[in-house]
Amino acid sequence: MGIGIDITEVSRIKSLAEQHEQFLTRVYTEREITYCNRKKNKYQHFAARFAAKESVLKALGVGWAKEIKWTDIEVVNDPNGKPRINTYGAVKRLMDKKGVKEILISLSHISLYAIASAQLVKG
Amino acid sequence: MTPLTLLVRSLELMGVLRDNNLFGKGVNVMDEKVIFEKVKESVVEALGVDEEEVTANALLFDDLGAESLDLLDIVFRLEKEFGIKIPRGGIQADALSDEGENLKEEDLVVDGILTPLGIEKIKASMPEVDPARITEGFRADDIPTLFTVQTFVNISKNLLEEKEKTG
Repeated sequence: MGIGIDITEVSRIKSLAEQHEQFLTRVYTEREITYCNRKKNKYQHFAARFAAKESVLKALGVGWAKEIKWTDIEVVNDPNGKPRINTYGAVKRLMDKKGVKEILISLSHISLYAIASAQLVKG
Repeated sequence: MTPLTLLVRSLELMGVLRDNNLFGKGVNVMDEKVIFEKVKESVVEALGVDEEEVTANALLFDDLGAESLDLLDIVFRLEKEFGIKIPRGGIQADALSDEGENLKEEDLVVDGILTPLGIEKIKASMPEVDPARITEGFRADDIPTLFTVQTFVNISKNLLEEKEKTG
């Protein structure tokens, strides 16, 4: 079992995105970028997704180690708006190895901060 | 490419640098001092700290107050500055890779904790870190707490050398 939590400053995400053209494409999938860009407070949504990715990595017990990409973890929303985690590449392999069937995620954001909590579900 | 790099590269092609060994050992196109100054500049801009605080041995988190997003900011600045790509995990990937040794992850990290071999590997790959900081029971997740300004100098230098080799 594993849980992970992360808090992210919305203004930091905004300034990173504005200053570095690599930021969005390095960290987010195309689908996430499209989703957030449609939102009025898009940086709150980008920040929540960053927090989600970090919380998932914490739950899995990987920090900056290994050949893991942020885009290996994707937050998608169900039709009713509930966030769900998709994983790819090295993160997917790590899940399989650890016998993790699913990762549950909960997100929350206000103008200043976004927060995410992840929980591993074993099969 | 800056005029300096162009000049150095032309001299290198002509064999001048190699023969005269102007840049110390080998043909370091960018000398470590230059790299350090650029890393320092990036750290100052990303963290908003005073230049004097940014010494080679300053720890990014404990001494300079960085947060994980700041590391990303520094990484992107260095990528732009040097025309390199630093992947997530690139800073310590070498240490925990099994290149040529057929090591399994379990040989290096068990339950998130570095094995004695893992500790040895990290010490060897991060010579800039005070070995006394990496003690028994050290968590792989805590490796970023070891990052110093020199860590970024080393990673930039390695990637620049790699870039030179592959052209």
